[in-house]
Amino acid sequence: MNLQLNQQEKQPIPNAQPADAPDDQITVEYLPASQPFHHTYEGNVTLSTVRSDAMTFFQVSDHKDRDTHQFFLEFGGRRLTNMAETLDQLLGAHRRGAKFNLVEQITPGAATE
Amino acid sequence: MKDPYPQIDRWVLPTAALLATLRSVQKEGQGIREAGALWLGSRGNTARVRAVVFPSGKGVEATAGKWKVSPEVFGVVTRWAKPQGLCLLAVVHTHLHGVPPRLSRADREYSVQVPGMLAAVIGEGGHERNHGNWGWYVYEKNDYRQILNQELNQRVEMSSENVDVQRANSEAIWEVGKE
Repeated sequence: MNLQLNQQEKQPIPNAQPADAPDDQITVEYLPASQPFHHTYEGNVTLSTVRSDAMTFFQVSDHKDRDTHQFFLEFGGRRLTNMAETLDQLLGAHRRGAKFNLVEQITPGAATE
Repeated sequence: MKDPYPQIDRWVLPTAALLATLRSVQKEGQGIREAGALWLGSRGNTARVRAVVFPSGKGVEATAGKWKVSPEVFGVVTRWAKPQGLCLLAVVHTHLHGVPPRLSRADREYSVQVPGMLAAVIGEGGHERNHGNWGWYVYEKNDYRQILNQELNQRVEMSSENVDVQRANSEAIWEVGKE
């Protein structure tokens, strides 16, 4: 996929506008799911949007029962905490794609049994 | 986009996965703490277990009353599993001697909650060798539903296939036997 993208970058696309922001091809994996989430975003999209869209696709949500369940994105083995960060800020302006993992964090509440 | 959780009509479960699970949870639990395993494989109308991962050590909290796997361990397993087309099919854990092999409320809330996910509870600290006596559950309609023996026999097919056996903590995953 990266090879194809690099080749495209070398060959100008006839109708492309010079000011067009290049898009980022994002993949999010979630261990229980048989399919990954794929979507193309502009670089100024925040991680919050990616996380939210991926959670919708995987049919999961942050919630609270006795414990607090939160989902976060992991990138390169690192938990991403700044959801206001944009894809460009995280990946750099020249990177055109990335793969994240969605992982659940369960924070125990008060034990009652 | 395709459904990330296709309906599972039956599971193909290698005997090797059962035996590896029993060996590991007995060794890890030592009869004094819970232990567990993740069963991974391909998911479709028929889900096939192809790998067993034993989370243990760093990133795993195991006591007499709970077995919890940290998100960092799940991250490590995800990075190993996904390039091979594997997804999580089941979470298996033990209950100690005298504790019924049933999902507790905490187990239900703490486990992975997606459609079709299996949860199995091995009684006797992992020494219950007859899987028909384990507690079996499937996640449906926002809760785990117990699978009783008749349904278990209809939907879980034992096989003689081999499985990949791995151990994982919050930092790495490695093949069992190569520790």
